[in-house]
Amino acid sequence: MLPNPLALIAEITHRCPLHCVYCSNPLELAVANSELKTEDWLRVFDEAAQMGVLHLHLTGGEPLARADLEELIAAANRRGLYSNLITSGLGLSRERLKRLVDAGLDHIQLSFQDSQQERADWIAGTKSYAHKVEVAGWIREHRIAFTANLVVHRQNLDHLEETLVFLERLRPDRIEIAHTQYYGWALENRAALMPTAAQLENALRVVAAAELRLKGKIRIDSVIPDYYAQFPKACMGGWGRRLMLIDPAGKALPCHAAGVIPGMVFDNVRQHSLQTIWNESSAFQRFRGEDWMQEPCRSCDRRTEDFGGCRCQAFLLTGDAAATDPVCSLAPTHNIVLQTIGESPVGIISPSSLSENWKYRPNPSRT
Amino acid sequence: MPVLDISKPTFAVGCKWGGTEEAPLVLFPEGAMKVQGTGLAILALCDGQRTFTDIVEELQRQYFGADPQRIRDDATTFLEQLHDKRIVDY
Repeated sequence: MLPNPLALIAEITHRCPLHCVYCSNPLELAVANSELKTEDWLRVFDEAAQMGVLHLHLTGGEPLARADLEELIAAANRRGLYSNLITSGLGLSRERLKRLVDAGLDHIQLSFQDSQQERADWIAGTKSYAHKVEVAGWIREHRIAFTANLVVHRQNLDHLEETLVFLERLRPDRIEIAHTQYYGWALENRAALMPTAAQLENALRVVAAAELRLKGKIRIDSVIPDYYAQFPKACMGGWGRRLMLIDPAGKALPCHAAGVIPGMVFDNVRQHSLQTIWNESSAFQRFRGEDWMQEPCRSCDRRTEDFGGCRCQAFLLTGDAAATDPVCSLAPTHNIVLQTIGESPVGIISPSSLSENWKYRPNPSRT
Repeated sequence: MPVLDISKPTFAVGCKWGGTEEAPLVLFPEGAMKVQGTGLAILALCDGQRTFTDIVEELQRQYFGADPQRIRDDATTFLEQLHDKRIVDY
């Protein structure tokens, strides 16, 4: 029997005051007028809870851009869903934070771009650093789980040690070091974002030292970026196995980037129940199980661990969504990845000399 | 961090019970953990009121006949591991 998903990722809007160059949103952003209404989301949360979903990830865009966020959190809480808010902090006042906590929010993940103000604002494409630091202080006025998230890449890895100290001073319960994943906007900016092997080696050392120093105080979660790994990541815990993503307009996707794969048809929660979509939607069935696999995945012992890696990455880099993820050292196309990391990409850019390779994520239009 | 006799273990911030009565889970940021058997028995006693000594004594009653030192050692290891994972505070 097909197990139901464990987590629902609710991308409640693509509107965002930040323009981060590595944004995981698709290049084609959902316009504001297409967004689901409050009552649609409430029904989706009801159905998710009935299906046994444990975690709800409220993300975007910037979820604070929706005026009904308090109501959505309260509804999730009533249905016993563990609520995670993934936010930049922009649009958050001290009063609104209190309302979110009172509504039953379990965990807030606040993103940081850099420890240095000028560089942080440059990566985000907007002045946001100072407000984020203020928000972190407000969060600690409440008994709520707090993760400080940092996306790392070529432009900020050289001072990771300094950035970790900066994050530690914000007193989070958890620090997440997320290496940039190359989809959407990050792929557009890959030449400027891809770390060097030396940077990566240094990062592993710095993170290991911080883990030791902060043990029992702050939990650090960090993963090796997959371009440099020997085997691919188990993307989304396997296609259609654990996670379901609903985009702002109600489309149900097996992962953030699935829209890049040609021929995908996504069912919408406006027309179908979550359970029907999970069980029957062609998008969720397309790479579920092992029938779609090619060699070397098909006969590989690791196929039940990493499920052949990421389908979107396979398509973006090889043109075949059913190919072995080319980050895998066993993939026949692995050279594509080796060439990318072997190239000498754009160097460290100074915020005052914008590179033509630097492409900011825009805000979606209204219609 | 070592657990002391006077420590009063409880869930760390952001951690709570989930799942069903038959299949209880501990939910925490970005994850969930199945708990059963002695792990469940230990966590059920971590209410922030009982001291570690109280908890061990209660477990020794519940598992009467088992080696009392072994019970104490297992509870120590379990709670220290969960503390490092930021699931339990004391």
